[in-house]
Amino acid sequence: MQTEFIILLIMLGSFILFAALRFPISISLIVAAILGALCSGFGFPLARLVEGAFGYLDAIMIIATAMIFMRSIERSGLLKTLANAIARVLHNRPYLLLAFMTLFIMFAGMITGSSTASVLTTGAIAYPVLTQLGLDKKRAGAIIAMSAIFGMIAPPVNIPVMIIGQGVDMPYMGFTYPLLWITIPLAFLTSFLFGGKYIHRIPKESIEKGTGGFLVYAPFILLIVLMLLEELRVLDLGMPLVFLLCALCATVTGKRFDFFKSSVEAIGDSLNILSILVGVGMFIQVMTMTGVRGFVVGSFVSIPQSVLFLTMAVGIPLFGAVSSFGSASVLGVPFLLSFLSGDVIVVTAALSMLAGLGDMVPPTALAGIFAAQVVGEKSYFKIFARSLISVAITIVACVFVVLYSKHVAALPPWLFWVVSGGFLGVLSLIKGKEAPKVV
Amino acid sequence: MKKTCPNPAFLGFLIATAILVAIPGLSYVKQRAPETIIPGPGVTRRGSLSDYLPALKGTSADTPVFYLEGKEPGGTVLLVGGAHPNEPAGFIAPLIVVERGVAQKGRVIVVPYANGSAISHTEPLEGSPASFSLKNKAGETRVFRVGSRLSNPLDQWPDPALYVNEKGQVLSGSEMRNLNRAFPGKADGSITEQIAYAIMEIIRREKADISIDFHEASPEYTTVNAIVAHEKSLELAAEVAMYLEFDDIPITLEQSPKNLNGLSHREWGDYSDTLPFLFEAANPFMGRLRGKTDETLIIEGKDPYYLAAAKAKRLNVPYDEKGLPLSYRVARHITAFRYVLDTYNTYYEEKAIIVTDLPEYEEMAYRNLGDFLN
Repeated sequence: MQTEFIILLIMLGSFILFAALRFPISISLIVAAILGALCSGFGFPLARLVEGAFGYLDAIMIIATAMIFMRSIERSGLLKTLANAIARVLHNRPYLLLAFMTLFIMFAGMITGSSTASVLTTGAIAYPVLTQLGLDKKRAGAIIAMSAIFGMIAPPVNIPVMIIGQGVDMPYMGFTYPLLWITIPLAFLTSFLFGGKYIHRIPKESIEKGTGGFLVYAPFILLIVLMLLEELRVLDLGMPLVFLLCALCATVTGKRFDFFKSSVEAIGDSLNILSILVGVGMFIQVMTMTGVRGFVVGSFVSIPQSVLFLTMAVGIPLFGAVSSFGSASVLGVPFLLSFLSGDVIVVTAALSMLAGLGDMVPPTALAGIFAAQVVGEKSYFKIFARSLISVAITIVACVFVVLYSKHVAALPPWLFWVVSGGFLGVLSLIKGKEAPKVV
Repeated sequence: MKKTCPNPAFLGFLIATAILVAIPGLSYVKQRAPETIIPGPGVTRRGSLSDYLPALKGTSADTPVFYLEGKEPGGTVLLVGGAHPNEPAGFIAPLIVVERGVAQKGRVIVVPYANGSAISHTEPLEGSPASFSLKNKAGETRVFRVGSRLSNPLDQWPDPALYVNEKGQVLSGSEMRNLNRAFPGKADGSITEQIAYAIMEIIRREKADISIDFHEASPEYTTVNAIVAHEKSLELAAEVAMYLEFDDIPITLEQSPKNLNGLSHREWGDYSDTLPFLFEAANPFMGRLRGKTDETLIIEGKDPYYLAAAKAKRLNVPYDEKGLPLSYRVARHITAFRYVLDTYNTYYEEKAIIVTDLPEYEEMAYRNLGDFLN
């Protein structure tokens, strides 16, 4: 048996053991990394471990500041005002409302690149609306978890794509439409699959009024303006500063709140995912040092082309059980190199979607576990079981996108807007069931 | 007055944190100390990069520049190593010229560690050793740092989301710290752009007739075991490639793409009269398929996963049990350099550059590389 395979088993085994013993995922990753280094003759390489911990510093800063922003707009009343405004306008169009609530949940993931952020902010705010639409805990939880994952993969911020891109010198450019094509249809499909049969109209009087006037939306508008300026290369402040400025803006445009306290809370809430990124950095650093990464990558690339799709479809989400970002780094790059005959941007987008699904895979299962918390479901596995069909559909869709990547790349941008607009137009015509009478 | 005793748990936490910060901190500080270069008899003068851009003086980007001046006048060749200091043959080859070479005619200017900032740290997630060592003929150990492809974030950070270089090329944000994407550089730009500008200044002020950039790449990469040449140096490069093939040194020739801006082989040619070349040697230490990442891999270049990949025909270069040792990779670079001079001299006799005392390919490849260092 190859030494690297034994070290891989030690690292994975110790990670699973510590996670099962209810140690935080980040600690389990760090312990696994240390054991991997010790067993392969590197001793206790503190300097290399600390270096690995800094591997995702930029992503950590984006997530931390995005969480501060999300908490600020939650405190200022923006999120609730927006959710209620959508519900009030669409209360008698339940299908259209479900579609918009799906986009609403995705929003936080789209701008933070984190499914956890999405679940804990927009997901938590959307939950009451989903229950008013007639969904039970499990269905609402599954919609929140899966929408959050589609959100973290949807543009503008997709961290797995950035990680894969770093490995092959590919700039984070041209991904907007491939990512929209992959995520938006699947997100709608998932929500209608889970909720389509059960939703009904909502009595307007049961919907709360928003707390603020138009000014409450100012941080959101500022965010869009600053992102557009960055896109047009007029003003490049960097995502962390953009989020912090918009968060500060929220302190004066809605309900007053203690910015320092809410920021501390936001960081506290995100420490789990931030520390996982630190742990993943150390884990991958040791995998690389010890040759385990070479073993994993070598094993995958030496697989015959005929079963490459199967290993990609199963291997990438499964490795996401360690971390979706780790999966993108370790497996995303070699798979991309195996599919260079396709359109690299579309293939990378599909690989990032597969990596994102790792956030549903136990034991880490960040999106699923937090969604269970948000809806008050004790067992995460009930949410996981409910979501499996969507996970399977997404995997199959990604395989097809990789197979037909050049066709996807050829789709004109306007077609996305025509198809999406047409779909939402059709939904707006469907009145749906009456709300059941409360006796 | 009642004395308050600090909480022992808190005190313990502080001490543990101090230890955890100090141990890696000291090793990172050590990484910033330059290694000893022992110039050979051919070196007539030593300067520094800041001579060409005073703004670099006192920064970690300032780096030695060596001049080997012949008694007879002739042309000038610039050798740039260490643009990517995670590519060891890229800086060892020019170092051997500094420590061994003698210019008989014309001048050789050598910048062995072009990106002084990038050599001061290793890349997170790459698991690189901080250094490797070679034994010279006297049995003394020479230690060389292993750096990163990118400038140290302590010198230049944060990265933008996207980097638009001087020529309008759009790249991922971290590429802003990549010297070989920053040419022609900017006198008042980021530290990486300033290094690029200073190197352009050497080419312009010293009127370098030939400029060579030494690199390494992973064996699965597309441009590897290659000479990349600007259109104006393409004919010379074709001859050099032919001579290398005659010597059974596998090589491919690539023309510098006109729309790939920021790279040395493109911008040196566009922004000066020099004839630019870039040499790439295959190095398993660079690639994602590599196994244990340590000093031995850098020096011996033997890796079981690359061997398996070669057998599965997944590599772009020949790879067998002998591996691709550092001595072979450096020998390729030195030989290619010698052929560039030989070929150039046949066309530009009045500006010929003659350098002697450099080891032959057979002397060096698969031998102890330290024997060629002082």
